[in-house]
Amino acid sequence: MEQIIIVVAVLPLISASLIQIFAGRIGRGIARFSVAITTLSFLLAVLLLSFSLAGHGPQTLTLGNSTAIMLFDPLSTLLATVILGISLIVHIYSVRYMAEEDAYGQFFVLLDLMTGALLFMVIAGDLITLVIAWYLVGVLLYFLLGHDTRSQTAYRFAFWTLITYRIGDIPLIIAAALLYNAYDTWSLTTIFAEIMANPGAHQFLGLPLTEVVAALIGLAAFARSAQFLLHTWLPYTMDGPTPVSALMHAGIVNAGGFLINRFAPVFIHSGDVLNWIFIVGLITAVFGSLLMLTQNDIKKALGYSTMGQMGFMIMECGIGAFSLAIYHMIAHGVFKGTMFLSAGGVINDARHNDGIPKDELYTFVVEKQPNKASQPWVLMAAITLAVPLMVLIFAHLLIAEDYFQKQGAIVLLFFGWVTGAQLIFATYRMRSQNVWRLVGLSVLSLVVVVLGYVVISHAFDLFLYPDPAFRTQLYTAASIDILRFDVLVAITTLIIVSGWVVTYYTEQGGYRRRQQSKRLWLNFYALISREFYISDIYTRLARTILAISNRLNVWLRWL
Amino acid sequence: MTESIIILLAGIFLPLFPMSMVFNAVIESIKHAWLRAVLFVVWPLCGLSIVLYSKVVIPAWVLPLALTTSALYALRMLSLREVNQWNGFLATSLWSLLWLAAMQDTSEILLYSYALSMSAPLVLLVLLSAGLEQRFGAAYTELYSGLARTIPRFAGVLVTVVVAAIATPLFPTFFIMLDMVVETISATPFAAMVLLFIWLLWSWAGARLIQGLIVGRASDIKIVDMNFTTISLFSLVLMALIVAGIYLSGVIL
Repeated sequence: MEQIIIVVAVLPLISASLIQIFAGRIGRGIARFSVAITTLSFLLAVLLLSFSLAGHGPQTLTLGNSTAIMLFDPLSTLLATVILGISLIVHIYSVRYMAEEDAYGQFFVLLDLMTGALLFMVIAGDLITLVIAWYLVGVLLYFLLGHDTRSQTAYRFAFWTLITYRIGDIPLIIAAALLYNAYDTWSLTTIFAEIMANPGAHQFLGLPLTEVVAALIGLAAFARSAQFLLHTWLPYTMDGPTPVSALMHAGIVNAGGFLINRFAPVFIHSGDVLNWIFIVGLITAVFGSLLMLTQNDIKKALGYSTMGQMGFMIMECGIGAFSLAIYHMIAHGVFKGTMFLSAGGVINDARHNDGIPKDELYTFVVEKQPNKASQPWVLMAAITLAVPLMVLIFAHLLIAEDYFQKQGAIVLLFFGWVTGAQLIFATYRMRSQNVWRLVGLSVLSLVVVVLGYVVISHAFDLFLYPDPAFRTQLYTAASIDILRFDVLVAITTLIIVSGWVVTYYTEQGGYRRRQQSKRLWLNFYALISREFYISDIYTRLARTILAISNRLNVWLRWL
Repeated sequence: MTESIIILLAGIFLPLFPMSMVFNAVIESIKHAWLRAVLFVVWPLCGLSIVLYSKVVIPAWVLPLALTTSALYALRMLSLREVNQWNGFLATSLWSLLWLAAMQDTSEILLYSYALSMSAPLVLLVLLSAGLEQRFGAAYTELYSGLARTIPRFAGVLVTVVVAAIATPLFPTFFIMLDMVVETISATPFAAMVLLFIWLLWSWAGARLIQGLIVGRASDIKIVDMNFTTISLFSLVLMALIVAGIYLSGVIL
């Protein structure tokens, strides 16, 4: 039964080959053929997932006499199902969406190849297959993003994606080479077993090998998941076809989270690497959200929104909540994929109907209709701070009593609390005519979100990492010295509360901006609107390299 | 002294800068496509034969020189627009890395198969370049562009050949590069880093070449596309290369 996972991954490749060969004879019917094969593959993946949920596996499968190994485990079956689910939706959407395009068959060939590459990536049980699939995803994405060969812009930004992905391939290849040299095998299962048995057995350049490999895997994940300084490709690759954007934002960009999860046994012995991953994720989340809020171009705003979400996903890995990152990537993938795929329909509908529902809810939430009388602020402040905290504590106590022993859990709770408080604070500021109704709705939505998130992520935890000792080891690996942790929490709280106070005083008109601070603010806004000049710096760097190349050719007379 | 002369002589065929300029000058002077194609196959084999039959001990200074040569030509490829010249520079960049393989006690048969695997996509590119010259009078990027719309079948084959040439999986050069990185990373990490940097430059140069040729609006003039037989032949060779790559991976990795 487990062998079916190989069939699941091979089916899209067969589809791509057949379409390439018979495209001329079948004509536009090839799209339906591709959809049928993807559906079959998806159904098989669902079957395998149910098998895995029933407790079968994990198991390694060798591909014939080769060194290629495939993994049948919870992570591979879950992600194979998700990839095929999203791919199937994208396939069905593309049948009509791409109908007017030239190279219709070629598009489905690339889409099938991409699906196959992603599947091989998640089921790879050896380093060579993983590196090949990882590499090919970048190359195929380049051609998918540049599907419209008339558009120079599409290709320009597709190239940004390609080169960032290639930069991200480098650390993964180095990690693979180091692991092979140390353990004399390409098999991930064997390598992980040896690491678990004797983590400090090997060193590289005087450093523990596990730390070096974890750092390299982290770097590879950063490039793939658009982390800060390696993010510029993501907001600009909007010239590709909409189904490709959906596939990219819903699936491909999440690969970083998958990679970190796949190498979880290495991260347990990775020293401070997880802390650095947390910091990078945090910076990405902050910068991504900041840039998203300041964009005039809605597509770029969507791109930066994905960047922010990827930051959160990497952050979750950084605090040891590996399975939560997987849940986050799936939830975000479904949400963002829906946004991209429904964008065309929404625009079309908006041409006929402004889409504003003249009902009570719209008047209540959107028009706001401010009420002159405000509620006592002490009461509101108490609700703002206490309610989210209670909701979070209650929800987490439901799943595990020792939850609060883990630093990672505290960090998540802290973020949840700040977000919840922010929500109720914003609700209060809206000064609705019926503030209690609005607060009630906010609290209700918070309860639903938190409970859903906590319960589902706990279920993911049990499914992906059934060994409680392993889960504890992951959280422990991400922990820091308790004093440092408390100081960091205190500083973060101080910054957030200061932000609230400043916002409050600005709203009340109690804070008059002086000329100098106004100028500072404008400079800051200019910096954000130029996206911190990061893409400009990269463009300048690329031009300099090209100029050097040209100068060398002139000096050496083109020989 | 004799050893140095042998190395210098081999450095013409397994390019070491500045002897590498000889190959590019020769390629530049040959106008006949088939002759060029033969040269692309024979040239590195001559170099390997000199090294292997002379049984010369390769001195340590060859490693940095070979890496520098490869990196230099990979960097110079970025600003090239003429396809034949680009192909010649890529050949120089690829073949100079054969020195590394020769220094790693790789068997003779494997060394020859490395050279042939590296040359195969380049030979295909020579033929495609001739096809472009035949159709447009020159094989230049950004001169006519839009090949994907004008001659889509030709463009498809061209893209696949370029992808094969720049060491993309599952083509043999990918596995050769992977093997070289594995062999060098522990003993000489810096050499492995340079190898990876060169690999990155190839991708950049390949993308620039592809973009310069296939992207853009279709030509108003009717151009004859590649016929079915030629496509089948190219596809067969490319498929054979993939099979060879997979086979090679089992042997060397």
